Amino acid sequence: MAVVLKRRSILPGFGLAMGFSVLYLSLVVLVPLSTVVLKTATLSWDQFWQTITAPRVLASYQLSFGASFVGALINAFFGLVVAWVLVRYDFPGKRIVDGLVDLPFALPTAVAGIALTAAYSGNGWIGQYLETLGIKAAFTPLGVVIALTFIGLPFVVRTVQPVLQDVDQEVEEAAAILGARRWQTFSRVILPPVLPAVLTGFTLAFSRALGEYGSVVFIAGNMPMRTEITPLLIVTKLEQFDYAGATAIALAMLVASFVLLLLMNLLQWWSRRRYGAL
Amino acid sequence: MSIEIRNISKTFGSFVALRDVSLSVPAGELVALLGPSGSGKTTLLRIIAGLEVADSGSVLFDGQDSTVRRIGDRQVGFVFQHYALFRHMTVFENVAFGLRVRPRHERPSKAEIERRVQELLELVHLGSLAKRYPSQLSGGQRQRIALARALAVEPKVLLLDEPFGSLDAKVRQELRRWLRQLHDELQITGIFVTHDQEEALEVADQVVVMNEGQVEQVGTPEEVYDQPATPFTYNFLGSVNLFRGRVHEGRVQMGAIEMFAPEHIEVRHSVAVGYVRPHEMAVERQNGGESTIEATVRYLHAVGPTVRLELERSDGGDLIEAHLSKERYRELDLKIGETVFVKPQNLRVFVPDNYQI
Repeated sequence: MAVVLKRRSILPGFGLAMGFSVLYLSLVVLVPLSTVVLKTATLSWDQFWQTITAPRVLASYQLSFGASFVGALINAFFGLVVAWVLVRYDFPGKRIVDGLVDLPFALPTAVAGIALTAAYSGNGWIGQYLETLGIKAAFTPLGVVIALTFIGLPFVVRTVQPVLQDVDQEVEEAAAILGARRWQTFSRVILPPVLPAVLTGFTLAFSRALGEYGSVVFIAGNMPMRTEITPLLIVTKLEQFDYAGATAIALAMLVASFVLLLLMNLLQWWSRRRYGAL
Repeated sequence: MSIEIRNISKTFGSFVALRDVSLSVPAGELVALLGPSGSGKTTLLRIIAGLEVADSGSVLFDGQDSTVRRIGDRQVGFVFQHYALFRHMTVFENVAFGLRVRPRHERPSKAEIERRVQELLELVHLGSLAKRYPSQLSGGQRQRIALARALAVEPKVLLLDEPFGSLDAKVRQELRRWLRQLHDELQITGIFVTHDQEEALEVADQVVVMNEGQVEQVGTPEEVYDQPATPFTYNFLGSVNLFRGRVHEGRVQMGAIEMFAPEHIEVRHSVAVGYVRPHEMAVERQNGGESTIEATVRYLHAVGPTVRLELERSDGGDLIEAHLSKERYRELDLKIGETVFVKPQNLRVFVPDNYQI
């Protein structure tokens, strides 16, 4: 007696969808990225190591990762507040504010860079007041943080918004009746369910900030060892026709980013298991 | 704890949710706020809980004005219609929440919290589910957890907003009876909101019938069912037959029906409406003389202990509903299309002037 052991899924089309996914990812992500590795491989190990550990490059890693991290952190906090305001309150012009959030997505990054530089430079609208407080924003690492915060904002707001919408207002009322203070309600009842979304938003904002170029180069001033971000160094090398050197730094950045993103995904997976989608 | 509601009014924009509502709930009673949707019953409950602020009027707990008190200090337990459980917490943590958020010096020890939560879970017959998450429970179980959570802080008043509204009929029956038992055991003042008249009549000590932001009638279930004070209460509690006619100096004339209503002795030449419950309609095969209406049987529903008849009046074609016992039904041996004579046995007459009692 012949027994058919073939497993049938009630969701057909796995083969086709998976095949298409792999092809698509290969064409768009894997193949282009593998050329980075191939080009870098034209360097000797020594040359490679020297390129990626040159003092100027090391300083740029520090700035890129540090400023991206700080920017994403600021966004995680303020993005949550903005999402909260947009979800919980009704006010005139709410749609406009909601639309403003997406602006950093749509704006050409160079436009953003020029606008930020104009506003935050010593005689700009905001910069002049900061100057009186003794704070220089433009052409310092602080400027880099500002630019990276600007471009990362939509990520946190847009990931947190729908989740926050799902948190029933009755749940807050229940907590209040049970005697919880406002901050207890926030930290024990509201935050845990939205935390995975905040982490996702943070990760997205962080990774976007790592790769950002256009909006940063204007406000940063690009002083070697102080305000040069890694993507800028890569472009500089390309302009000097040092293609292998450029890809070497790119590869270092790629590996570091990948490891960081992997860590954050693990953290998210853990927090989701702990608090989220139960 | 007794609750006294004094002249509460509340509007949402142009919608008047409550107009000048006063009500007093004696300590230890279980009271139902009954009314159709939009009658203001939930708003009233939320004002008592402190979740909503009244435009005017006050709520007194044991004679003390609670309007100024912080919501968490009112010693009120609230059960939401859709449970409002904390999804990211286990059943145990949900119930323990009220104890854990207390200021340090009032907070019971860890062991004490554990003991009390377990006790409450036993009380709601869910002791074995402490480690589950709300999403793993059925609707009825969730509602009982919500109740245990509300009871954990030892409230003096328990407020329930349509507690069984989103459950299926069978579970509803069960929980209803169980809520009544629980209330008798705990001896705490309880108010629950419902639009289900059967639920209100079965569970509550007192029923408050509400309509359009006002209290229509307050009374025991028997009182509001047998002696409705207003046409609205008559209509809302159970089905009813309606007759239109006139009244003059106590003499009521409604088509074939003629009767004397001493309570309307001072009314002169006025329009009147009469109400009769379907089980108060006597059905005969022979014409019983005065005040009898001739009608044709249009529909018969003979499942269960009472038989429902739908009759069409021969004069005018209005429909009348009548309920008969099974025995009486067999005696009459009715068939669809046959002619019968019905006689209202307990007609309550309302004159438009005294609609608002």
